[in-house]
Amino acid sequence: MARWQFGSLIFIFSLLSFTAFSQELDSLLKLSAFTAESDLQKELNQKTGVGSGKALTTRETPGILSVVTAEDIRRMGARDITDILRTIPGFDIGQDVQFVTGVSFRGNWANEGKVLFLLDGQQINDLLYQTVPLLNNFPVDAVEKIEIIRGPGSAIYGGSAEYAVINIITKQASSLNGVKAYGTVGLHSNAIGRTNGGVMLAQNGKDVSWDFGFFQGKGIVSDQNNFVDQIQNSDSVPYPVSNLAKVTNADPMNINVGIRTKGLQVRGMYNGYKTNDPILFAKFDNYSADIKYDFKINPKLTITPQYIYMNQVPWAYGTVSDGNYGLRSRATRNLANITANYNLSKKINIVSGAVYFADKANDLLPSNTYFDGQDYNLYNYAVFAQGLIKHRLANLTIGARYEKNNRAGDAFVPRLALTKKIENFHFKALYSEAFRTPAIENLHTSIGDKVVPEKSSIAELELGYQFTPEMLLSINGFALNTNDVIIYEYISLDQQGYQNYRRSGSSGIEAVFNLKKKKWDLNVNYSYARANHNSTVDNYKVPQTSNQFVGIPAQKGVAIFNYSITKNISFNTTLIYSGKRFAFTTNDQNGIPLATQLDPYLLTNSFVNYQSGGFMVGFGAYDLLNQKPAIPQAYNGNYAPIPGRSREFVIKVSYQLNFKK
Amino acid sequence: MIVVMKKIYFLLLILFFVAKSYAQTINHQVYAVFVVSIAKYSFWPETDAKDFKITVFGKSKVFDELTKGTSNKDVHGKKIVVTQTEDIQSLNDPQIIYLSDGKSNQLAELQKVYAGKPVMIIAEREGLFKKGASFSFVVLENNTLRFDINKKESEAHQIKISQSLSSLANEVI
Repeated sequence: MARWQFGSLIFIFSLLSFTAFSQELDSLLKLSAFTAESDLQKELNQKTGVGSGKALTTRETPGILSVVTAEDIRRMGARDITDILRTIPGFDIGQDVQFVTGVSFRGNWANEGKVLFLLDGQQINDLLYQTVPLLNNFPVDAVEKIEIIRGPGSAIYGGSAEYAVINIITKQASSLNGVKAYGTVGLHSNAIGRTNGGVMLAQNGKDVSWDFGFFQGKGIVSDQNNFVDQIQNSDSVPYPVSNLAKVTNADPMNINVGIRTKGLQVRGMYNGYKTNDPILFAKFDNYSADIKYDFKINPKLTITPQYIYMNQVPWAYGTVSDGNYGLRSRATRNLANITANYNLSKKINIVSGAVYFADKANDLLPSNTYFDGQDYNLYNYAVFAQGLIKHRLANLTIGARYEKNNRAGDAFVPRLALTKKIENFHFKALYSEAFRTPAIENLHTSIGDKVVPEKSSIAELELGYQFTPEMLLSINGFALNTNDVIIYEYISLDQQGYQNYRRSGSSGIEAVFNLKKKKWDLNVNYSYARANHNSTVDNYKVPQTSNQFVGIPAQKGVAIFNYSITKNISFNTTLIYSGKRFAFTTNDQNGIPLATQLDPYLLTNSFVNYQSGGFMVGFGAYDLLNQKPAIPQAYNGNYAPIPGRSREFVIKVSYQLNFKK
Repeated sequence: MIVVMKKIYFLLLILFFVAKSYAQTINHQVYAVFVVSIAKYSFWPETDAKDFKITVFGKSKVFDELTKGTSNKDVHGKKIVVTQTEDIQSLNDPQIIYLSDGKSNQLAELQKVYAGKPVMIIAEREGLFKKGASFSFVVLENNTLRFDINKKESEAHQIKISQSLSSLANEVI
């Protein structure tokens, strides 16, 4: 029996005892002001603090929010973060260079500094470029939930959260009180697609809690044989004909350690990733340590000082043939942050703070010439404040952030949000300005004028209606305008680097439909993004259309169906439809890259789970129709698309043993 | 794009027509339970009236729930009679006036009409206990229902509130 039905029965019973209730006045204290929750409502009513100083339900939080739970991931059998992001409205995957894959959002390439990735509170975006490699990355089987703000988060999260925030929370850092081991094997017809595994250990004590997690994976980027990059291939320098299953890698590693006692929280993390195309490899080695303490001055005021140290060797690249590096630099960050969270009353919350960080980079190659033999320093400070007023007519969020960088200059971004759930209906009217702080390499390798912070203004409106306790439809529209877009451009070997382009952006709609029954549930979503016609970024454009940018679909539709065959066995089918895309695939006779249309594709994935106690085994197939969708470069950057992976059969096994409380 | 928008609009239209409004909403039954509890644990001056009258002022589903829940029930030895009115002139001196959210702006007028009289005003809207209602409801962070009490106001209306009821209040002034 669903929990909400059980709750209803208890409540009906209490009403039948109408005359007796007065003798038990204390029982009044337990009565909810709202009707019993269905499973869907329980999800919707879960409170989240992302983007706000005070936890609000997903239908009232001041942002367009998607939440993916551990249960969602288990049932769909997601292989990595790309499988999850592809099911979220607006998100898609593109190629940067060297077969490094990154995220696009709402029709825009967003790999560099536009989407902030947090793993248990640790920033994953690297310090040199602010990128996050995605393919086969992240321990998805260790995830408790992923909160995705499909919209800007700069006012609270700063200069890497211009378009969206992806907040990944692992089980070990939240709910686990025991040990869990997990493994995934992916098999193509002629190659092993991936072998990933990990272990988590966590103990939640009354005074002290600690956790440890280890994850390592080995994967390939594609299993296509006889691959030749037709853009890089030439008579003078022929591209090697390659079996990508044999020559490519997508190997992640994560070590994650945390301890909490009273208000003190300490976390250390190593996040590594290595990938390569047939010629060049790219390697990320990122360490971070974070210590913070919640000083509860009084029941209304909490002050949290925080110190973060990051030490990275991000995106070191070199040649596969000899293993020699072409670029290998260390980047460090010392960040101090103080945040005050004040509940002025039950209905008014204020969060404010100040941040200072110093970034430093130096060349690790023996020649030590990349930064002219010196340290390259950036200093950055920011102040921010945000207020939330919960009124019976609407919740008002108003905030702003001011940030100043010693090399890039300053940025000021205000934010305004009105949200409210009124019976079955909810709305969110949001306006935010957001920015991207230029990272070390954006400034160090700038060409032309000084690179200044990229700024966006985003207007969003969401309307939602809950038709029944199990059925919700929400639709949102957005208009996103980005100015001073930071773009990498290759003009010649001697002239390449970053500069600001005047503007780019997109507008569109997203719709999500949820239906959650006792034995089955269905999630359908659709997203459409149209490129702004006034975009001045030539590298994003294709001659065929001005409605979409290169490499990114305008339309995407997703249907996720789960069916519980028995209490222990569940079946999932996930359909992901992507509209046509355009990609630079080859060169014309003059050696200029030519854009062609890539056909729409339908990814059909199925997964069956068996779970008993702490044991889980799952089996499924990805891309059943063998459509092999390619991953194009999301700008005109001299790379042909990564050939798509073929059908992949996936086996997942995990075992969780809980400690006695 | 236009075709897609049309399809979405059509889908919305269908959904709006087939849907029934039984999503998670305010639980008026619980409000009614609270009103009767407040009545039982509060004490009015003795009168000859046979009935204990509760009048819902304005439109509120609490009226339906009170009507259902108090059929053939009594409080302080008097039969509970529940009525509803939109007109302040036809309130007819009940023991309790349940002030619906939509009529909140008429609280001051109610106060004038019933100044000093043994009539308790229970307000549906949060915070009105500070503006002259004897009780007003409040929804706590965990979604449970509670009430705030203006004890001075109750005393001005010659109504005593039991200690056990006061102890359950979120706030008492």
